[in-house]
Amino acid sequence: MSRSKMASSVVETRIKWASLLVAAGLLVQVLALLRIHPLSFVAFLVIGCPLVAVGCLLYLESLVLADKPESK
Amino acid sequence: MPAWVISLFVAAAAVLALVVGFRARLTRSREGKILTFVALFILPIAAAALGFSEQMDRAQSRTFCLSCHVMNDYGRSLYIDDPSYIPARHFQNHLVPRDRACYTCHTDYTMFGTVTAKIKGVRHLLVQYFGTIPKPDQIKLYVPYNNRECLHCHLGQRRFEEASPHHKTQDLLSAVKSGQKSCVSSGCHEFIHDVGSLKDATFWNEPQ
Repeated sequence: MSRSKMASSVVETRIKWASLLVAAGLLVQVLALLRIHPLSFVAFLVIGCPLVAVGCLLYLESLVLADKPESK
Repeated sequence: MPAWVISLFVAAAAVLALVVGFRARLTRSREGKILTFVALFILPIAAAALGFSEQMDRAQSRTFCLSCHVMNDYGRSLYIDDPSYIPARHFQNHLVPRDRACYTCHTDYTMFGTVTAKIKGVRHLLVQYFGTIPKPDQIKLYVPYNNRECLHCHLGQRRFEEASPHHKTQDLLSAVKSGQKSCVSSGCHEFIHDVGSLKDATFWNEPQ
């Protein structure tokens, strides 16, 4: 497998993970919006938001990876 | 924005994120890269921000505060048929927004008052799930009630400034304003929730 193909496969794997984390975080947020309760508030802040944040960061990292020169 | 619109937006953002994740090959084209950026960065952040704003809004509602069983009696005390009970009088006469009756009096009117109130709320939760839940009549404020919270609305109000009990002594009003004399614990407005005496109280039947 050429380097560029390997790099794009790594990027795509990261994007897949990022999307899973973002979707999981957003799912927690939707569930937390179903009910007015302090636990929903905490679940939103402590589980939903960090999952989305980590997913976004992983996606941003994949952008950086994709932008790296193939060889020095 | 209605809560269901926000929920729908957040759900749509989740679905789009999943679709992009399982079609990662999309990112090879320019349009795909833009779509991925929107789906995995712009939309999730917008959805989380909207959801956060909705959660903060809900966290100020009476329903939210009274959703814990231990707070039931405090909710009932808002309906005591006695105007000397400060919360009941404020609630029944719409002197505080009815759907935010708890928050209006129990937040700090300072720059980070809402944040402080939420941190205290997390402490309540820890006690609720990991500590010993006190009986309703044993619940106490963490710090004595600050006149600042009363004066947020009453300062400059004619009824407050001109009320004869506030001029019983020459320096009473200035002592209240400066916080030297407490509104609630100096014997003037001592009937607050008083949930211990609810069994003997009569209640206002709110017209439907």
